[in-house]
Amino acid sequence: MIENKSNSVLIFLLFCLAFVSKVHSQNTNSEAKELEEVVIKDQSEKRLKKEESLNIETVNSSFIQRNLGGSLMQSLQRIPGVKTISIGSGGSKPLIRGLSFNQVIVVENGIKHEGQQWGADHGLEIDQYAVNRVEIIKGPSSFIYGSDAIGGAVNIKPVPFPKKNTLGGAVDFTAKSNNEQIGGSLNLFGRNKNWFFDTRITSQDYGDYRVPADMVQVYNYNVPLYKNHLRNTAGRELDLHLSTGFVGEKFQSVFYFSNIYTKSGFFANAHGLEPRNVDIELHDKSSRDILMPFQEVTHTKISNTTSFAVGNHELQTQLGFQRNFRQEYSHYVNHGFMPPIYPAAMYAPHDLERQYDKEVFSAAVKDEFSAGKHQFTIGLNGEQQQNEINGWSFLIPAFKQLNAGLFAYDKIQLNDLWMLHGALRMDYGRIEMEQYTDWFESEITENGQTTKEYLKRSEDLTKTFKSFTWSAGVNYNPGKVSFKANAGTSFRMPIAKELASNGVNYHYFRFEKGNPNLNAERSYQLDLGIDWQENKWSVQLSPFFNYFPNFIYLNPTAKHDIYYGAGNQVFEYQQSEVMRYGGELQLRYQFLKNLSGEILAEYLYSEQLSGSKKGYTLPFSPPASVLFGLNYSPEIKNLRDTYFSLDYRFTAQQNRIVPPEKKTASSQVFNLALGTKLQAGKQDFAVSLQVQNVFNTRYLNHTSFYRLIELPEAGRNIILSVKVPFLIHQ
Amino acid sequence: MKKVQIKWNRIKTAKTIVVLVLSSLVFTACSSDNDAVDTEYPVIDISASNAFPVQCSQITRGQKITFRAQFSDNAALGSYSLDIHHNFDHHTHSTEVSDCETAPIKKPVNPYLYINSVTIPVGLKNYEAVQEITIPQDIDPGDYHFMIRLTDKEGWQTIKGLSIKIL
Repeated sequence: MIENKSNSVLIFLLFCLAFVSKVHSQNTNSEAKELEEVVIKDQSEKRLKKEESLNIETVNSSFIQRNLGGSLMQSLQRIPGVKTISIGSGGSKPLIRGLSFNQVIVVENGIKHEGQQWGADHGLEIDQYAVNRVEIIKGPSSFIYGSDAIGGAVNIKPVPFPKKNTLGGAVDFTAKSNNEQIGGSLNLFGRNKNWFFDTRITSQDYGDYRVPADMVQVYNYNVPLYKNHLRNTAGRELDLHLSTGFVGEKFQSVFYFSNIYTKSGFFANAHGLEPRNVDIELHDKSSRDILMPFQEVTHTKISNTTSFAVGNHELQTQLGFQRNFRQEYSHYVNHGFMPPIYPAAMYAPHDLERQYDKEVFSAAVKDEFSAGKHQFTIGLNGEQQQNEINGWSFLIPAFKQLNAGLFAYDKIQLNDLWMLHGALRMDYGRIEMEQYTDWFESEITENGQTTKEYLKRSEDLTKTFKSFTWSAGVNYNPGKVSFKANAGTSFRMPIAKELASNGVNYHYFRFEKGNPNLNAERSYQLDLGIDWQENKWSVQLSPFFNYFPNFIYLNPTAKHDIYYGAGNQVFEYQQSEVMRYGGELQLRYQFLKNLSGEILAEYLYSEQLSGSKKGYTLPFSPPASVLFGLNYSPEIKNLRDTYFSLDYRFTAQQNRIVPPEKKTASSQVFNLALGTKLQAGKQDFAVSLQVQNVFNTRYLNHTSFYRLIELPEAGRNIILSVKVPFLIHQ
Repeated sequence: MKKVQIKWNRIKTAKTIVVLVLSSLVFTACSSDNDAVDTEYPVIDISASNAFPVQCSQITRGQKITFRAQFSDNAALGSYSLDIHHNFDHHTHSTEVSDCETAPIKKPVNPYLYINSVTIPVGLKNYEAVQEITIPQDIDPGDYHFMIRLTDKEGWQTIKGLSIKIL
């Protein structure tokens, strides 16, 4: 598709363009957007903490720049309670208090992001350079977002509008040593009185990432690594964004368009039906090429948000369309009764292992109004999606899905000290799965008679789900200390993967089987929060308790599948009672005017209370961890916002595991970061430098996608990032 | 004066709540961790003198072979599967330390494929697996891979991959 070379050319062009436009920039104040953002951020963050009864963490783009990782969620991992399931160096999924996949939702510009959330091998299709502010709700928030928000939500807020009568932009440049990544992003925005546009192009290109090991063990197979490179984990990304619209006093209407394209390789020795030998000469020739197996994902999003006021009512409508097109390429490997040679007349290309094509239409209406002490929000949202499949292998069937929900939320400001929250929501969901029949015949032996048959791997099946959820909370803000408590229920509709999968997971060499009898998952959660702010110090504690009567869980059985599964172990979806509790603690202390320290800790305990894995934990349970951070921010002439920081993270061992996981030893990792803002002539620069894993420590991350095949985390990584805002006209 | 008093009371209540919540957290955090779930993998042992096949074993077409291995687990065994597939493209290697000599890469015409699964009787900690396999006469000779996958009752799995030759 897009060649390696053309990507590098593109990055180069971005910078040429940036410097050309720099010449044109005449104005000293080049922070038309940025300054405003900081002010908005500070106020709203404090307000959110005091006015919301759920535990919400907010970060902005400078936090992301300071902690820049390979993908959005990797950049947010410093927040306690937030972890990731990473797929190599360029992709990751959110893991909030141990829950991920379809149990956490991501919202971008008000629209629920619909990709392939169910698979650990797909990253989140979000451009982190385009992110201005993120709110992370650490807890069930189904009453706002509907099904899937049972474990939490990552809400990526729209970028603020440019100031009136400005034309400007910014250039971001990033380089990373570990995977030899270069990347950049160019932003251009402009606005007259009421009309604005905001565009962005982002490109990234990276090679195989390196680990402090020259040999890894994939299950029991030894795999030598060439120059510490994890073979074929290179990738690239090209993202385009445009938002434009009308901003008036009483009426706003904005269109958002984005297209995120990624191509990334999978570790070549662990894909298929068993760990594989690869053509080492071919694979180790270049660390930047992407050979098989690899995936290509294009995510397109078009949406409109219109808000207007009618009397006392603030109304908002949202319309969206998304398409997620994902292809997984791999050499054909016959299994079951597939022919040894790929038939010439097949419907799918020879190397197309899997293809998922998802189209989603969504619509939402919301009305906010106040009456006395009450502030009401009433909303209605609906979503219709269509999923097609292709490729020579089968895992989940094609399906159609419809979801609709109606909610009412009331926030009551009793007096200066007390605030109450109450919410109700009703949901309806329908999923229609299509039958799928093998493209090859299998031999079936019954009573000594052998016949050949095209096997049906999934049946036509329609399921409907209804749900009623509620949430109630309280805030008490007596001054320097503030308290919050929230209790509520949440729900999640089972997905096609859980209801009807019937095929091989080629990453983990296992046969996965759906269960058509699953019920909608339900969750009950109690959340507490204490925030104490003094001049020199602050403490924030957020414990929670959570109970699921019917958690959906992929259970490893003792069985093997001897047809399509080629003798691999069978994993089946089941439901069990689950109890979870834990919390996060954040302590900050200002030692001196310029020197501060912080301790960020998190703990999580999960246990299955029933079913065939009674007594076991849940998969991907993050171990307890504590981060000690020291931050020095001296005032240096001609520089602003200078910082030096050192983070030391201790992650405890994880001995609570469930098959096929392995116990993960404790680890200690040091990260260094420094950065500043400087002015050269009339031009501003924001520079940040990070050294991640300073001592090149070899460690395993219990929640990494590659943990099961024992791949260590990336070694030392030096990350340089420069942001150059510019203003062409004001 | 009155206002100050109220404020002080508030701080006091606040402190009490903080202490209560903190201590409850400490108690819950310590009350667990004595779980006795099975986290051990089953073991495949092919070191016995009558175990077959072993790494680099050779088999003749048309021959009846007897697979024999010793399985064990700390709690209870589950099932095992056997899978013989061709390695003409050298795609697989084995879990064993020593490698065997392989023939040059070739295209399969009628490669042999054998997949079978056996459920081990409930509750056994030790089990000697014995299974007769007839190798057909009309299959492609060459390098093959012999995979043994063993699970225990809880779903822990151990894999052994052997390189064999069919002559």
